[in-house]
Amino acid sequence: MNVRSSQSRLRAVATTLAVALTLTLAAAAGCDSRKEPDRQSVQEKMRESHIYGQSKLRIGVATDEPLMGDLRNGQHVGFDVEIGRYIAASLGYEGEQQLEFVSASTEDRIPYLQGGTVDLVVSSFSMTEERKKLVSFAGPYFVTTQEVMVPVRLKDKIRTLEDLRDPKYKVCTSGGSTTEGELEKRQVKALVVKNVWDCVAGIRAGRYDAVSSDETILAGFLATYPKEFEIVDLPFGTSELLGIGVPIGDPALRDLVAYFLQKSYQQGRDGQASPWLTAYNRTLGPWLRVEKNQPQPLEVPKLVDFDDKAPRR
Amino acid sequence: MSTVPTGTGDASAHGVVPPPRASVPTDHVEVDAAGWPTGVPRAEPAGPVADVEQVPVRWDPAERRARASQSFWTAVVGVPAIFSVLRLGVEAGGELQTTLLLVANVGPVNLLAGFLTTAARLLSTGLVAVFALGAVLAVSVDRLPPGTLRRPLFARWADLTPAWVVVASFLLALLTWPLLYLPLLLPAFAAAFQLRPDRLHEWVVPRLLVIAALLAAYGWFLLPTLRDAAGQGELLVLALLVVPPVLALFIAGPLPDVVIRPLASLTEVAVLAMLVWAAVPVISTPVLPLTVTTVGAETGPTEDVRGHVVTTDDVNMVILQERGGVRYVPVDLVRAQVLCPTEEELPRHRLRIHDFHIEDSLLEGMGRRVRPVHRIDAACRAPG
Repeated sequence: MNVRSSQSRLRAVATTLAVALTLTLAAAAGCDSRKEPDRQSVQEKMRESHIYGQSKLRIGVATDEPLMGDLRNGQHVGFDVEIGRYIAASLGYEGEQQLEFVSASTEDRIPYLQGGTVDLVVSSFSMTEERKKLVSFAGPYFVTTQEVMVPVRLKDKIRTLEDLRDPKYKVCTSGGSTTEGELEKRQVKALVVKNVWDCVAGIRAGRYDAVSSDETILAGFLATYPKEFEIVDLPFGTSELLGIGVPIGDPALRDLVAYFLQKSYQQGRDGQASPWLTAYNRTLGPWLRVEKNQPQPLEVPKLVDFDDKAPRR
Repeated sequence: MSTVPTGTGDASAHGVVPPPRASVPTDHVEVDAAGWPTGVPRAEPAGPVADVEQVPVRWDPAERRARASQSFWTAVVGVPAIFSVLRLGVEAGGELQTTLLLVANVGPVNLLAGFLTTAARLLSTGLVAVFALGAVLAVSVDRLPPGTLRRPLFARWADLTPAWVVVASFLLALLTWPLLYLPLLLPAFAAAFQLRPDRLHEWVVPRLLVIAALLAAYGWFLLPTLRDAAGQGELLVLALLVVPPVLALFIAGPLPDVVIRPLASLTEVAVLAMLVWAAVPVISTPVLPLTVTTVGAETGPTEDVRGHVVTTDDVNMVILQERGGVRYVPVDLVRAQVLCPTEEELPRHRLRIHDFHIEDSLLEGMGRRVRPVHRIDAACRAPG
């Protein structure tokens, strides 16, 4: 009898505890459901950035790099332009009314960002340590390597770095580029001109025999003159990270751009058609020797957005 | 003393509701000790009789039942109706004329359907809480000597409600609650139907084995989510997923006498407070969907108007702006319109249960599977 009553008392205590714990958990669940998200939302970041409330977004792009940033019939086209369009649309700027592409030459890119002429720069902008002191970068959105392009007549003659060192071939490159230093390091004597266009024009006129530059830029010229040139794969072994330039005083905008690049990266990794892949296939893809994938962006903030609940698979 | 019990008369005062009266002559009838005519067969219930039939009662049960049922259904029907109208006022920004504009344009069916969409979660939470607590209190009060405590309100409601209504409330909760909170339904269900582990098997060892197997299966199903939650340091999520199934094993049964009285009154206040607290966001949730309408002449600048479209006729589109005020936009000037989410829909956790977000309900999760891609339109980012 005693055992029985103590058993039933124990059971009553267990029931009381269970009821009390269930009520506590339910209360905790109720509080949790009314809690603000811990992480910042995209919308909050938008409010912090300098573009919030701005009716137009201005993006600096190149106009002399076929496939990357080019002006065709008054329209900006190219991989950089498409990436710029995707970022702008993600930020809420779509269509001609809201998005303006500003032509920015290589040397204009940093002053334009510093002076507020443009809000973003998407123009084969390599992320280097020196530049990071002047502007912020979101990315990389592309990893490019150094290549050499030769006219078809020399495609069997220039195959190695050793061939390039041969003084009878005149190698051309653009001044101030990372390529110049790279060639020097490998004892390749190069003739330095203002930009890659001059090299290409020089080769067509017979003044030079080879041009070295970024793979993406060379692919653009190959696309322009597909029957005249060929790209030779040489083991330079360096890679450049192209990033999107953002004014250094606007970390919120940098974070947003990095977040949207990451979103595209994630989509591509999940096997979906990402905006990056679409841009790539429409521009660079057919002209590069090796198929590329979107590189993972660096320093991506963890933000909350409306579509976070969408299924991943 | 009458020779034949009347069903609602003295007999009920002794705690016994007699079976229906048989058609026998009333004069010269011999009765047995319980006042039942001899030779008249007693109607015995075929199966176990629900608790409500055996409950000792102190006053007219039919009247009491009718009254309680009336108050229950008044609450179930009346509360949504009042809420629906109240939230129109809130949505209109407290402006009388705007409220009238909404009343004129939002039909009662739309209003109720809109309300149910946003309030189904609240409604099922209230019902589940009442039924679970009611059953716990009922079974506890039954053990007390009759007359010591007035039957708590929730217990009376739980007694009156047919089992199918209780089951339907749990089903509604199952479909509309966020997945994260679904485990809480297990102890609530065990409490509402007073299910003890004894039901699984009469012997102790197989019973323990069955329980262990069930818990192991549950744990295995949730293992990836639990691992992520532990990695993210989400202790509350861990507790909400792990603890309730264990509680479900112990929750059925009577409570000690000392607990019943405070629990009865406390939970009534708590459930009421919970409903009021949870009702505030429901009242302030818009009835109409949020859109961004791009307005502007064919050539020329455009403007984004963020708000809820009240109505559209041949001449104007009437938009209740998010920042307040009503705007009549000529239909010819409407260039584009997109549907936008609100910031209240932002998720708080980064956890999934087999690719279902833990803050989605089963219905929402399934919906996302049907229409998986949901891109936020650029216009939605525009400031309001």
